[in-house]
Amino acid sequence: MGDEGLSDQREQAARLYRVLGPAVYRRCLRLLGDREAAKDATQEVFVKLLRDMRRLEERETVLPWIYRVATNHCLNLRRNLRRRGEEDLEPALRIASDRPPDGYPERELAQKVLSRFDARTQAVAVGVLVDGMEHDEVAAALGISRRTVSRKLDRFLENAQKFIGRSEP
Amino acid sequence: MIRCPSDLKLEAHLLAEASSPLAPHVASCGSCRARLDEMRRLGDEFQREVYPATVDAVAGAAGRRRPFVGWMLYAAPVSIAAAAAAILLLVQPRSPGDDYLGTKGAKLAVTVYAQAGDAARPVADGEVIPATASLRFRVRLGAPCRLWLVSVDAAGQVSRLYPPAGDGGAEVTAAGPLPGGAVLDGKPGPERIYAICSPRPLTFADLERSARAAAGGGETAVRAARSLRALPAGSSQATLLLEKRP
Repeated sequence: MGDEGLSDQREQAARLYRVLGPAVYRRCLRLLGDREAAKDATQEVFVKLLRDMRRLEERETVLPWIYRVATNHCLNLRRNLRRRGEEDLEPALRIASDRPPDGYPERELAQKVLSRFDARTQAVAVGVLVDGMEHDEVAAALGISRRTVSRKLDRFLENAQKFIGRSEP
Repeated sequence: MIRCPSDLKLEAHLLAEASSPLAPHVASCGSCRARLDEMRRLGDEFQREVYPATVDAVAGAAGRRRPFVGWMLYAAPVSIAAAAAAILLLVQPRSPGDDYLGTKGAKLAVTVYAQAGDAARPVADGEVIPATASLRFRVRLGAPCRLWLVSVDAAGQVSRLYPPAGDGGAEVTAAGPLPGGAVLDGKPGPERIYAICSPRPLTFADLERSARAAAGGGETAVRAARSLRALPAGSSQATLLLEKRP
């Protein structure tokens, strides 16, 4: 590819970043709770998204894809903090206030609870409990079936309740 | 009771408000209007602070080559700790686009440029680069400060990149390219660069302690340590991870 083509690619990337970057930033800030961490994560997520630049131009489907990539990336960052024993730096995620917590006994989803589950189950729990999304919407955003969402959420609620029960003084 | 849309649906609304099917609900729902106001505020924050500081690295990841602009070549590779300081990087600082509206005063940001053949390009966070690559740096400041650039590798070695001499950090008053640069030491593995902007002098010994405490625990620690602690109050910092490969 010539320099002109590369320059066009960079300009296209910068334009897409300006338009779609805010959605990534908001998502990262919501999950990380820290502006500097969200800024870094936004950059990292968008570099990942740029690997399929054509997909970024598809307005009908781009937002669920952004949601999925950003959610997985940020939850992974939170897991890394947990592994390093710095989970206290990562704020708990507030349960969506406009809906009942679906049997989840707390008003916040703490990292120590979240980290007990695999990455996909974490994404499902965050989508339903924190983002307040319907099961169908979570399934579409994460690229899995509605049945998988229900199954993973049920397992999450059952085990999280046991864990919280054991942790209470 | 009509349930309010999720954040994801409100994101779609913001992307195409004129044709959004949510418009009637939003018009009658104070809660959703407040959520949208907050989302717009964060969008402005992105355009004001995040986009200008990161667009070079993001756009650079889309194109793997960049015209060589004003770098002079090093005579020979040297240890990153012994980086030469006499060469000017002449890349012009990139400013926000014409449609940018916002206040000045973004926090510290650092862009790292790697030489590749006869070209220089910004490096994205976590990017794989040659273990002997030549690097240059450009910073963006929120306010004048005492600036340090250091790096930590998987062996826990803390190297000073800028300023190459003196203690307390370099007094920097404006954004732009930094004199000098560095050549990586040829050892494969992760190396994390930290830029620290302190409102008062910060000794290299103190900074070295902070860097080693955060990232001195091997490859995993280097990759994960995104910030330093025990810095002077009011300090800002930026970081970037390099993955060196033979």
